Amino acid sequence: MGWEEKVARGYSEFVQAAQQSRGRPVFALFCGDKDAQGRSWCPDCVTAEPVVRSELNSLPDGAVFIYCQVGDRAYWKDPSNEFRKNLKLTAVPTLLKYGTPQKLVEEECLNRELVHMLFTED
Amino acid sequence: MGSSVRKGKAVLPAEQAARPSREQPHRAATEDYHHEAQNANNGQAITASCKNQDTDLQFKIQAYIDKNTVMIFSNTACSLSAKVKELFKSMSVPFCSLELDQTEDGQKLQDVLYELTMETSVPIVFVQQKQIGNYDKTLKAHKEGKIQKLLETKRHDHVQDSYDYDLIVIGGGSGGLAASKEAAKYGKKVMVLDYVTPTPQGTRWGLGGTCVNVGCIPKKLMHQAALLGQAVQDSRKFGWQFEEKAVKHSWETMTEAVQNYIGSLNWGYRVSLKEKKVTYENAFGEFVGLHTIKATNNKGKEKFYTAEKFLIATGERPRYLGVPGDKEYCISSDDLFSLPYCPGKTLVVGASYVALECAGFLAGLGLDVTVMVRSILLRGFDQEMANKIGEHMEEHGVKFIKEFVPTKVERIEEGTPGKLKVIAQSTDGREIIEGEYNTVLLAVGRDACTRTIGLDKVGVKINERSGKIPVSDEEQTNVPYIYAIGDVLEGKLELTPVAIQAGRLLARRLYDGATLKCDYVNVPTTVFTPLEYGACGFSEETALEKFGEENIEIYHSYFWPLEWTVPSRDNNKCYAKIICNIQDNERVIGFHVLGPNAGEVTQGFSAAIKCGLTKAQLDNTIGIHPVCAEIFTTLSVTKRSGGNILQSGC
Repeated sequence: MGWEEKVARGYSEFVQAAQQSRGRPVFALFCGDKDAQGRSWCPDCVTAEPVVRSELNSLPDGAVFIYCQVGDRAYWKDPSNEFRKNLKLTAVPTLLKYGTPQKLVEEECLNRELVHMLFTED
Repeated sequence: MGSSVRKGKAVLPAEQAARPSREQPHRAATEDYHHEAQNANNGQAITASCKNQDTDLQFKIQAYIDKNTVMIFSNTACSLSAKVKELFKSMSVPFCSLELDQTEDGQKLQDVLYELTMETSVPIVFVQQKQIGNYDKTLKAHKEGKIQKLLETKRHDHVQDSYDYDLIVIGGGSGGLAASKEAAKYGKKVMVLDYVTPTPQGTRWGLGGTCVNVGCIPKKLMHQAALLGQAVQDSRKFGWQFEEKAVKHSWETMTEAVQNYIGSLNWGYRVSLKEKKVTYENAFGEFVGLHTIKATNNKGKEKFYTAEKFLIATGERPRYLGVPGDKEYCISSDDLFSLPYCPGKTLVVGASYVALECAGFLAGLGLDVTVMVRSILLRGFDQEMANKIGEHMEEHGVKFIKEFVPTKVERIEEGTPGKLKVIAQSTDGREIIEGEYNTVLLAVGRDACTRTIGLDKVGVKINERSGKIPVSDEEQTNVPYIYAIGDVLEGKLELTPVAIQAGRLLARRLYDGATLKCDYVNVPTTVFTPLEYGACGFSEETALEKFGEENIEIYHSYFWPLEWTVPSRDNNKCYAKIICNIQDNERVIGFHVLGPNAGEVTQGFSAAIKCGLTKAQLDNTIGIHPVCAEIFTTLSVTKRSGGNILQSGC
């Protein structure tokens, strides 16, 4: 059955994608927006994405992986942005298992073993 | 009823704490060439947990062989024994000798030794744990240079590759995690095994041990929830305006938030262990043989691992009453903090700090709470303070049934929570009472998790009655390669920071050449009852007993927190007491405070006490105004004087 990827830009798209995936394990990677050349303004996000993607094959069957671009740097720095307020995100990149306190933040996302642990633990 | 050592117990100075005497492992050659192995009997009521006495003697012998580079089993009357000792002295090689004719159980030891070694007489010589044999064989080996060769190999050289791990820690709680992370810092290969056997109600939890999951953390958060309820009521007097009905409490909201936080801690520990390269397995660890454990996961899969050293940090679990219906219908602190429904009208059985803290916050959340106690409150704590705590709880709506114990628990109605009937008998046997409650919470003590981890297979001695493990002041058990820390220890305080400190220092001694041992004296504690109690040092009873009434001076006073004045909360309830040693410059040897934020207050003073705080220094310290703690800088009335300490406001 494998896993499925959804893409979201901004908070409401993220919420929509998460709701569509109700009943299935949902993992989400939050990164800064990519420019026209496909490069994020957040350098750690640039490094983290390939690491996370290399572990996607260890996701449980039926899982949903949401790749979410949160917005531009100014939006992210605003302390009252919806991701900070509602999802309690503190930094990008953040990789989390939706609906649980399990998450990896910043340089933790660059550690392949930690990503593997997040994807495979219950 | 009640565990033998508990948080906040009057700390006994080191020499009073029960400690088995140990023969000193033989030190460097700069000391005497040899030493006589002391009689291993330490005069305590510790009995071997294994039934087979022979196995017990085998382990004794093995311990001697393991602990000494050169071990000679000998006899004072035997000339060959004397000759072999001379041989080693002439080589300038230190050795340890055990004189079997002068040792308790010497004859039995000798019989077992002969069986083990296939030798027929003493002396029997071991070098670097290898059996050399009798005098003739030893002389021959010496002439062939074999003994010198053995002495040149470092002990762990020839075994290093054969163990899976340098250290295996059984138990992933406060002590186990601290020790494993510290050991990993020094490049050691470490494994942690953590497994939670579900409660009779089926409750389980993640990595982190009692404190994180079913102890300090959820307890303090729920205590805070109760304090906030009180604060909401007080706020009216400070001008906040709202409808009475607007303020309600949701058990489910509180529990979900608390469990969510605990979940983040469990996860945090997983990440931390991974980052520090400590192997973690969610499996039940038990010893199966020398240097070997079996790890069984929740699917029943078994794996075997070996290690050079082991650390037992398995902690404790709540005790049950042993009456009909206790396991089927009652809950314990293991279940309370994740209970998915509000417990409702609750009977708390017990007089421990667990019982009183839980009863306290449940009542603070608005529940109907009764506490059933068999005899005194907070055994081991300063009784004046314990009684004040109880009185305060009673004045604030907690009911106490004193000198009764439950004899049966029945279910009258199913449900969440349902309804239970409790039948109890007075301790003098004369009266029987019944009561109906939604929930019965048992808090009658905690038992060490040492009975089912195979300690008998490796010869680790435990106190048969309590299940606790006696250790040296370096946390070493009677088996040299097995250590223990935390709540499982005999005669030590059951506190998270103590376990953490002991674990860290142990790892440093084992792997970083450190020598600092854990200091168990003057450890501060706090009981988070509705009126909090902080303490450091001696209780009044213990101080009187140890020093005598004429040698101690007790200064005390009531105090009224400023924040309580406006809302007209209890005056002359908060209380401060210090106990001073007259013969030692009025050194503060006991500190007790009953009042809000007792833990915050006590922490600072405990550092001062560690520095040798005297009454004069306290008097010379200028207080901070207006705070509760400043009372300690102005104490002047002694108990001896009988002077009035009632306050009338600032």
